[in-house]
Amino acid sequence: MKAIIILLSLSLYFINPSFAAMNMNGMIMDETGMIMNHNPDKLPKGCKAISETVDITIRGGHQFAKDFDGKMFTYDKREWQVPPCALVNVTFINEDDIRHQFMLHGLPGYLYPKGMFTIELYGKGQKTASFIAPHRDYTYYIHCEVSQHTEKGMKAQLKVGKGTGDLDSILGLSAAKTPALYPINHSIYSWLSLAISIAIGFIIIGFGKRWLKR
Amino acid sequence: MNPAFYYRLIPVIFLLIYAVFELQTNLFQRPADILLPKGQTPKLSQPLKIDKPCIDLHPEWRTAQRIDNVDIAESKLCEPDDPNHIAAFVLGMNNISMRTLMNTQLAEDALTKSDDLDGDGDPDIIHIKLEVIELNGSSPDSENPFPIYEIAPSIQPGMWAFSPKLRGMSVKNFRSQKANSILRAPSPVIRIEQGDKVYITLENTHYFPHTLHFHGVDHAFKTSSGADNDGVPVTGDKPVMPGKTRTYELQPRHAGTMLYHCHVQTDKHLMMGLNGMFVVEENRPNNWLQTFNVGAGHVRHSSVAIKEKYDREYDLHYQSIDKNLAQTIQHSNDIREISKQMHRVYNMSESKENYFMLNGHSFPYTLRDALIIAKPDENIKLRIANTQHSNIAVHIHGHKATITDYDGVTQNPVAQITRDVYNLGAAQRIDLNLQTTNDGLHSYGEGVWLFHDHVETAVANDGISPGGNIALMVYESLLADNGLPILRDDALSDVLTNSYHAKERPLWGKKEAGQYSPDYLRLILLGLCIGLIIGLSLFIMQGLTKKEDIS
Repeated sequence: MKAIIILLSLSLYFINPSFAAMNMNGMIMDETGMIMNHNPDKLPKGCKAISETVDITIRGGHQFAKDFDGKMFTYDKREWQVPPCALVNVTFINEDDIRHQFMLHGLPGYLYPKGMFTIELYGKGQKTASFIAPHRDYTYYIHCEVSQHTEKGMKAQLKVGKGTGDLDSILGLSAAKTPALYPINHSIYSWLSLAISIAIGFIIIGFGKRWLKR
Repeated sequence: MNPAFYYRLIPVIFLLIYAVFELQTNLFQRPADILLPKGQTPKLSQPLKIDKPCIDLHPEWRTAQRIDNVDIAESKLCEPDDPNHIAAFVLGMNNISMRTLMNTQLAEDALTKSDDLDGDGDPDIIHIKLEVIELNGSSPDSENPFPIYEIAPSIQPGMWAFSPKLRGMSVKNFRSQKANSILRAPSPVIRIEQGDKVYITLENTHYFPHTLHFHGVDHAFKTSSGADNDGVPVTGDKPVMPGKTRTYELQPRHAGTMLYHCHVQTDKHLMMGLNGMFVVEENRPNNWLQTFNVGAGHVRHSSVAIKEKYDREYDLHYQSIDKNLAQTIQHSNDIREISKQMHRVYNMSESKENYFMLNGHSFPYTLRDALIIAKPDENIKLRIANTQHSNIAVHIHGHKATITDYDGVTQNPVAQITRDVYNLGAAQRIDLNLQTTNDGLHSYGEGVWLFHDHVETAVANDGISPGGNIALMVYESLLADNGLPILRDDALSDVLTNSYHAKERPLWGKKEAGQYSPDYLRLILLGLCIGLIIGLSLFIMQGLTKKEDIS
């Protein structure tokens, strides 16, 4: 009898939604975050076997943006390269107290609904999940989709194989597609060098003239 | 040389012009590349000045005291009203001691009280004399405005105000350019008793014509001698010219919170500050009133009727400034030019309000003298007047007060409304009963509670926030000895600097977006190209003209 009561109460504990991790339509959710389209074993078309297992640890938060003037959030590293058909185990660590995401776009839809692989953390903490890189060389877009986090620095790229070039506006890697204009800090020296070079240009013609006469 | 040689050089010039066009593109600005420019500390247009939150000049003025037998309530503010002035305002200049008179800055005929007509123990004939003062006006002898009156750190808009008739200097002392403590905004609150025979004389010490108009205060259209008594030049006499005086007569039958203001070029003159609160107190025996409340705020000698119901009383006068109007008096000392700039060039219909004041100060200076100080379980009388042209929506954090009077008329007690935003259109007044009972409705308990106009333009100084008419309601347990609330150490460090209000201090200690350094290679190439163009053009012109000479 005692054992039954214990079992019953234990089952209650597991049913309680705030403790149970739900797994539905590729979503694994609990009170600390969400993983979307975790795939440790289903091979994409064109991959005969897993070529390599790559473990990646990615940290995200405000502190990593401090080295980048004018930006607010980013990842500790913003570019990774894996071989085609690699099994990628991503450990995403959120160093902030707020919500951040590691969201990768462009994966094949038949394995990853909406083409996405996402780890979202509702606050400070970490989660690990996996995906298998497709067989073609491609540069995948990674970002945090919390409003304005991408725009203020939280953007990265994953190159499978050689990749297909760099994405725009990745901190420390590429310039913005729509860059803002910044003023040039001119001083007396810059205007002086301009004036002197005008004079030199003028003098060069003078010398040329003399040379022609000879 | 063959002219063909020179003609062949012309395309070279075009090539060079093209190069110049290409090279000059990023001369003054360029698009961001991978790394944005480093942050930089902003350049200040004026040396950084940090104000003290409280200049504790007269701590002895704060205690409850008795001067010439007048009881003056405690006032824990950083800048409490001078008790000597309060004694003079209660008794009248004719009834105070010589010592008190010497301690004031008032003329001996500024306020006379006499004749207990109804035999109830208080004077019933009151003579009041008002002057017209200018603050932060122009001076031909100084770059600074004169006399200086700062509404907030280094903010000195041109203003006018009525003041009780003064004596002596308008500045603090002969070395100072700062206005003395009576010369300030707003115009003083005037308090008289219901039924008093009041003679208010406007002594026009200013350089423009002015009048007095009593808004909502019971007064006859003409004085007993048939002169103008409504102050409107269109319907009454000509305005009071500079150097002249006029006496208005009142004997109000109805009590309440009213207004007075100048009615010459009213749009401009009212907004310049020629307006004040006018309180008619209910008739009671032995009701000696504090006739002036200079700078409004805490009333240190409330009427008998108020003391029956309330623990404290505050006059809250909301005003705004259009900086374009304020500037019209700051650029010239030619009265014709000032008049033209103010009355004709300035266009009130294009007016914007830039500064918002409560009792003559904008935050953070409101902390010095515009706090509401309270204790738990009190009833506090607030009289609120709005003399700015936009509406105000006053909100006191943590409290819901009851509106007892609208425009000086008591609301039927059953229909009185308790709420937490109090709307006042232009020239409207309300009286509030602010109860500090911690019952979850009237008060949420002790604290340092912000109170401010919730029209958000008004909580900034010319767009720089926090500022404007923000003030605090502070419970005594959270008040320091110098009259300031106990706050986080760095809570005011930004707002007390001049550079913050000059819009030159980045928020939250961050640096500003920087600049890129010049690209010297491009600059030198650009210079060379320009030099080559000039040289080559001259060379070609010279060569071709010489050729013609020969031919």
